[in-house]
Amino acid sequence: MKFILLTGVEWKKLRRSRILLIMGMAAVMLWIPSIINAHLNFEMQAEGISPEHNFLIQGFMGMAWFMFPAGMVVSTVLLAQTERSNHGILRMLVLPVSTAKLCMAKFVILLILAAIQMMMMTGMYFLSAAVASRTQGYEFLLSPIFVLKLVGVLYVSAFPMIAFFWMLSVCIHTPIFSVGLGLASIVPSVLMINTKLWFVYPMDYPFYIITAEYGKLASNLSEIRMEPVPWIPAAAVFTGICLAAACVYFGKEERR
Amino acid sequence: MNIIESRHLTKRYAGFTAVSNVNLHIPKGTVYGFLGPNGAGKSTTMKMFLGLTKPTEGDFIIDGKKYPKDRIQILKEIGSFIEAPAFYGNLTGEENLDILRRILALPKSAVDDALELTGLTQWRKRLARKYSLGMKQRLGLAGALIGRPPILILDEPTNGLDPVGIHEIRSLIRSLPKKFDCTVLVSSHLLSEIELMADNIGILNRGRLLFEGTLDELKQGAAEKGYPTDNLEDTFLALIEEDNLRGGGVR
Amino acid sequence: MKLTLEYKKIKRTGIVPGCLAGGILAAAVPILELAVRSEQYTQLRQSPLRTIMQADWQMMSMLNMLLVITIACMMYHTEYADNAVGRMITLPLREEKIFFGKCFLLSGMCAVVLIIEMLSIIFCTLRWFGGEEGAYTAFYGASFASAYMKFVRDLAYNFGYCFCMLLPVVILSLLVASACKNMWVSLGIDVVCLFMATMIPVRYFALSVFPFALPFQILEEANAGRAVQYLTAAMIEIIIIGAAETVFLKVRRAAA
Repeated sequence: MKFILLTGVEWKKLRRSRILLIMGMAAVMLWIPSIINAHLNFEMQAEGISPEHNFLIQGFMGMAWFMFPAGMVVSTVLLAQTERSNHGILRMLVLPVSTAKLCMAKFVILLILAAIQMMMMTGMYFLSAAVASRTQGYEFLLSPIFVLKLVGVLYVSAFPMIAFFWMLSVCIHTPIFSVGLGLASIVPSVLMINTKLWFVYPMDYPFYIITAEYGKLASNLSEIRMEPVPWIPAAAVFTGICLAAACVYFGKEERR
Repeated sequence: MNIIESRHLTKRYAGFTAVSNVNLHIPKGTVYGFLGPNGAGKSTTMKMFLGLTKPTEGDFIIDGKKYPKDRIQILKEIGSFIEAPAFYGNLTGEENLDILRRILALPKSAVDDALELTGLTQWRKRLARKYSLGMKQRLGLAGALIGRPPILILDEPTNGLDPVGIHEIRSLIRSLPKKFDCTVLVSSHLLSEIELMADNIGILNRGRLLFEGTLDELKQGAAEKGYPTDNLEDTFLALIEEDNLRGGGVR
Repeated sequence: MKLTLEYKKIKRTGIVPGCLAGGILAAAVPILELAVRSEQYTQLRQSPLRTIMQADWQMMSMLNMLLVITIACMMYHTEYADNAVGRMITLPLREEKIFFGKCFLLSGMCAVVLIIEMLSIIFCTLRWFGGEEGAYTAFYGASFASAYMKFVRDLAYNFGYCFCMLLPVVILSLLVASACKNMWVSLGIDVVCLFMATMIPVRYFALSVFPFALPFQILEEANAGRAVQYLTAAMIEIIIIGAAETVFLKVRRAAA
């Protein structure tokens, strides 16, 4: 009960932060190239994927590889700066609330922001697919159930990554290092998904899932398999470690 | 009965001692004035009471509870205002207080009450970052007073206020023990200010407690030692000066 | 003079070590790549520089840009966080000077980063292509002195080009940072721009001069005419963005 209340309070702190605006902008920007390049979807015979599937996968790849993780790094900056800019954190620390709970409430806010970002991007997918269908005279819209299922899996697979970004922003107080490390950790995902050890690098989970889906939909591409073991245990352990570290270090700097 | 008591409270940072072996006794239902020049260790002591910094040595008891074991219990009873006002600039004054109210599980009227007490009611809808210095200070005070906690810890609450505001806040603090039956620990670097508010005073210099007692006791003690007593500010200055000389000005 | 002033401001913000760390990280990319799959590249009978740049520059330039973006946001964040800028603008000093001072400083840091990356490429060339039968000898000739001269000249041209391509990003990200008081807003905008750049298909020249897309260009792939076009585009962008900042500051002062 108390935890839900705390989360509500944390949500309130984001007023006038313009984060939703930025996320909306990101969602729009994500799909504009897809609409403009919609005709390219008909040139995918080599891969053997249908145009409508290709339209979805290409857009989602951009999202899972870069836009979504980067959006989460930006969100962690928002959460950290809101607390630090006018010593708001000091006010919270002298309230009778456990710091670990505060930390977890903020993590839940991050998850909510992630969900909003995903929903915006999915919403824009339907919109842009409808637009592309008009311009190309070809039905690009896929079944909402299929799309939403994929989005759901993507979302859950991003939890370890979000936990990692959250830990960075809590434990590293110099913004350049927490932001820089977060952003830099996104880039190697491209390399990591091609290795056998992809599951030890949580930043590539969403991208890996999309790539696997791509392999499934494209008849001429070799399928990558998604083995739940050791992936799920690795992800769980990683998330646990990140959150534990974040909870331990939360507010430490201010309480020296 | 003492509601706050510290024993040999000490805080050392690398290379210097901010608070050294301080034994405070703050009786329940009084205003305790915490006096000392800038950098004497007043804020550090208050921060230790609030669990914002860990004592290097010694400990303290607040209303029978001990830090760090009962941190949450202690904080439930304290309303505090420390250093520069802490708030969320993107929220209005009212929203800032509402956040505190919700976490403290207070009724909705608590926000109005706190705004009223500090005279912020007419600016409640303005963004906190657009507040003037004095208004920010009042917002910080409102955050301490919200829910009328039994213990108040206020660090230089009149900083940045205009003379009228200073007078208002002083009278407010003076009236608090009677009105809400609470104990106030208030710091200042002006004896003249503390004189108007406090029942008991503690004088801190270079991290050490030089004096603790009532104003009359201070006057008496000063007269015995041959310090000037007709003007209390002079007494205070003489006391500090002598201590500085003894310490060679080094800490 | 202004430069030392701006340099003083970034003391203890972690920008300088962050910059070095970013350079080293990007420099590690080709080394790691060649260490893992050198056989794929060492067989190629072309300039080793070209081989390395084609294989790794995408990722390295991405890291470079993320670094530039983060540093730009931090530079203005230090101004805005404790309202230091409020004091700066009351000084008898033009705000534009602060901006261009920061531009020079950040450009200087980019040069440092590129030099670190250059060293790594020298190392890679000598380590994996420098053998008797290696591409280095095959391409530059057996005579040690003349090969060395040619190699260094190539290297200097390439990195000079990369540096010029990075400058529009420097000035644009500083423009964004100077316009937004909240770090997450500017970071969000930059990240979205960078993402857009990664989505631009390479074949459209008009689109590939988008400031954030320029750093992906490499000299080895451009013929002389194209290279001049890109350099001109970069220069024009710098002038336009610089002018835009001047106008923006004037308008903001007038509106305040």
